[in-house]
Amino acid sequence: MKLSDSTVSRLDETQRLRFERCLNKFKDVLQSANIDLDALRNLNWLGIPNELPSELRSITWQLLLEYLPCNADRQVKTLARKRQEYFEGVSQAYARGIAGLDQTIWHQIHIDVPRTNPGTILYQCETTQQCLERVLYVWAIRHPASGYVQGINDLVTPFFQVFLSFYIENYDTSCLPKNVLDVIEADSFWCLSKLLDGIQDNYTFAQPGIQRQINKLKDLINRINAPLAAHLQKEGVEYLQFAFRWMNCLLMREMSLKHTIRMWDTYLAERSDGFSVFHLYVCVAFLDKWSDELKTRDFQGIMMFLQSLPTAKWKEQDIELLLSEAYRLKSLYHEAPNHLSRV
Amino acid sequence: MSTNYTYDYIIKYIIIGDTGVGKSCLLLQFTDRRFQPAHDLTIGVEFGARFVDVEGKKIKLQIWDTAGQESFRSITRSYYRGAAGALLVYDITRRETFDHLLIWLEDARQHSNSNTTIMLIGNKSDLESKRAVSYAEGEAFAQQHGLFFMETSAKTADNVEESFVDTAKDIYEKIKQGVFDVSNESNGIKVGGHLQPKTLPLNTDNGNNCC
Repeated sequence: MKLSDSTVSRLDETQRLRFERCLNKFKDVLQSANIDLDALRNLNWLGIPNELPSELRSITWQLLLEYLPCNADRQVKTLARKRQEYFEGVSQAYARGIAGLDQTIWHQIHIDVPRTNPGTILYQCETTQQCLERVLYVWAIRHPASGYVQGINDLVTPFFQVFLSFYIENYDTSCLPKNVLDVIEADSFWCLSKLLDGIQDNYTFAQPGIQRQINKLKDLINRINAPLAAHLQKEGVEYLQFAFRWMNCLLMREMSLKHTIRMWDTYLAERSDGFSVFHLYVCVAFLDKWSDELKTRDFQGIMMFLQSLPTAKWKEQDIELLLSEAYRLKSLYHEAPNHLSRV
Repeated sequence: MSTNYTYDYIIKYIIIGDTGVGKSCLLLQFTDRRFQPAHDLTIGVEFGARFVDVEGKKIKLQIWDTAGQESFRSITRSYYRGAAGALLVYDITRRETFDHLLIWLEDARQHSNSNTTIMLIGNKSDLESKRAVSYAEGEAFAQQHGLFFMETSAKTADNVEESFVDTAKDIYEKIKQGVFDVSNESNGIKVGGHLQPKTLPLNTDNGNNCC
């Protein structure tokens, strides 16, 4: 693994050395016969620079989700077995063609996939859509307690995109050989499954996980930003009205896919609660960030503003600030229920 | 953006109906006068607003557009109570979205204010060649259940304006008759007043009065 020639040609000498040093740190960890996940978490928390080879992120994500084993001897075998298991699952589910599928679930997924990242060529391409459809369908029938819930279609895309970039740079899936695409699909399925295992009650009946997260968000805003909390209350804004989507889609509707991927570097490094506890603190930091703007607006202005936040202009730096603020808040308030209130 | 622009009344609406029938597209056509063929799917609820003019009164419509998927039903139900108007939408090209209307209607009747005006909307009227539910069937259902009825196209904008405005007219009629307790905002109606709306020029429907 090394920096690509095209990347090197864009960098000056200092930058090149910096990224090479960074890559070497990852390599040191990854080349061990038994990978030290804590060491990998420490590196991953700070994000994987886009200048590093794209396969690096595929590998570290799969390791941190414990899909790819840490033990180098078991990696090839395990991946082959899991992929095979997925292909068999697909064959079974689709044994009698589309007509043999659960029509309610299938129809919902079928109309949602074309509405996933509608502005992006990669997701408008039929090959991609068929992959996502199968991943979501197989996941849904294997998880009857929740089934497919809208928003899960968004959550599969970072995996698909990261694993795809292992193979191609330009994102035209129709030019990929079938066996390569199959592997990307199977890996996306398993990694999505791992992610959802940790937040399953976000998607079971009445979505209790999300309701809990929203209550905690409200409680934390009361504690860290009382004037904002008071203003929202005065205007009759309920947290459910805007934060439901933040939880259901893990802020993916508020951020570009590129920035979501950067956020997930950190979420994945936060052990098993990255997508629940740490995400909650990211939402706290995120709402707090717009405080000045929100306090000048009435109910309608607040709702309209929160629905289309000006994050399109965000740079990677903004994401990093948000993540470090979330980290700070989590260290202060997590598992410190009341003694810090009204500080 | 003048969200504080003066108004005579604020009326709250809710849009309900099966997933994929075009609820968000109707709202976007009404508030922004544009059509987005591949609209992002709605998660939970989304909000939109616009002024309409009814009998010289400036009425601000605040509209909750709900997600159609069954999984979100327990979340979206909480929005019924505060709505004075409900648009119940089906897709004229998909029979099952019409067949589910009774479930939606029962849900709405059970969870909303009994005075809520309900407008039944058969959307996608531009797709005549794919029609699976006739106009007469839609009209008969509406009559049987005491609903207003219209076929619309969020794509061509046909009847979109009318469906929102006619609902507002009915609600305004009820306000005049004293059907609603307008002192209680939880009925979905808020009265303006302290802002002396009559001294301001009426900005009628010309597309620039989006709030």
